Amino acid sequence: MNGFQRAGAVARKDLLLEWRGRQTVTAMVVFALLVTLLLGFALGGDSVRASAILWIALGLAAMLGAGRPMLAEAEGETLEALLLYPGSREHLYWGKCAALGAMLLLLWAALLPLAGILFNLDLWDRLPALLGVGALGVAGLAALGTLFAALAVHVRGRELLMPLLLLPVSLPVVLAGVRLTEATLTREAPGLWLGLLAAFDVLFLLTAPLLFEVLMEDA
Amino acid sequence: MLPPPIETQGLSRRFGLHHALRDVTLTLPPATVLLLVGPNGAGKTTLLRLLATALRPSRGGGSVFGHDLVREPDAVRRVTALVGAVGGVYASLTGFENLAFAAAMTGAASGRPDILTLLERVGLGPAGGQPVRTYSQGMRRRLVLARAWLLRPRLLLLDDPYGGMDAEGADLVSALVGEIRAAGGAVVLATHEWERGLTLADRILALVDGRQADAADVQGVSTSRLRAPVGGAA
Repeated sequence: MNGFQRAGAVARKDLLLEWRGRQTVTAMVVFALLVTLLLGFALGGDSVRASAILWIALGLAAMLGAGRPMLAEAEGETLEALLLYPGSREHLYWGKCAALGAMLLLLWAALLPLAGILFNLDLWDRLPALLGVGALGVAGLAALGTLFAALAVHVRGRELLMPLLLLPVSLPVVLAGVRLTEATLTREAPGLWLGLLAAFDVLFLLTAPLLFEVLMEDA
Repeated sequence: MLPPPIETQGLSRRFGLHHALRDVTLTLPPATVLLLVGPNGAGKTTLLRLLATALRPSRGGGSVFGHDLVREPDAVRRVTALVGAVGGVYASLTGFENLAFAAAMTGAASGRPDILTLLERVGLGPAGGQPVRTYSQGMRRRLVLARAWLLRPRLLLLDDPYGGMDAEGADLVSALVGEIRAAGGAVVLATHEWERGLTLADRILALVDGRQADAADVQGVSTSRLRAPVGGAA
């Protein structure tokens, strides 16, 4: 059994559980839609602000939902059984990260048409680029969210701790996402932001699985 | 000569200032069933979790089939299955999906027919397609036993396996224990229902307040000797 298959099994299981319960996705979608609508109405329909509002909504929704699948493992008393399967615990990280990434990408795809209507944006011909930018940002958010979910799972007051930990560390991802989305919408060159976001993604995706394994040592 | 299924030296575990387990030293030969008895809080579950590598020892150490509990936890996990007092199964997945996930995680060569046969064997054939949240406690226990069967461990760690089980379920426990012993493996059975456990066990270890209170072969143990550390009748 290779790591890819094990990670796939974890991701499939997490997505199946989410499909049956629809707790995390529902909370994240409703929260992100409310943030987008609230900020959209409060700041006005100026298209310049669209990218910032989209990424703030996505980032805050990630903070709300990232810890939920891991917390459900702990509450359902399945975490120990999961950790006792033989094989590297990095595979568990990759599976959980992939499932969270899929949920966040779905959220990003749901937010785009709303932003199109609210801010009067012509998204259709820029859709592939916007989805690409979303995927890059989501990779970073999912990498960090999965790691901090593991860190907070046995801590009291984890609901408060998650945003406190995740918000400052994910700031480079959100900021780069805003700038890249802005550049895509205005058809400008992405400049250094594309490289910066890719570099953050690589850094987080390389280090987070190792830290996850250490965190789960005596979980 | 093959290494023993379990060998521990001064195995201890502390949670903060509380000593859950102190200086447990034991060697278990192959094809042996160890009955672990003791009152609540005696350290039975802690010992099982240490042997399963779910916990790291605070002091002392041990090995499972020659694999060190701290240095080679993955090798220990490949030959061990912990059937806990709490299920460790996903309530929103069906019984079949839970076993398929376990098979995928361990690489157990089990296709759909194998899993269906296993569900039939533990009496969950008709319920295999239903979500586990609709199962009774006994049915969940049977599913966890089916998972242990699927993993084919050489060391089986059973924590209170009779809780919520009917007579047929208890027979399943006996069948699983018998299979592992016949294959040269070992079983540690922690239970308060020690009279039931005595029918399966070769050796007994009694724990009180995290310490080894008594250890003996089953033949050499009288009911009164066993009742003293356990603190009551079965």
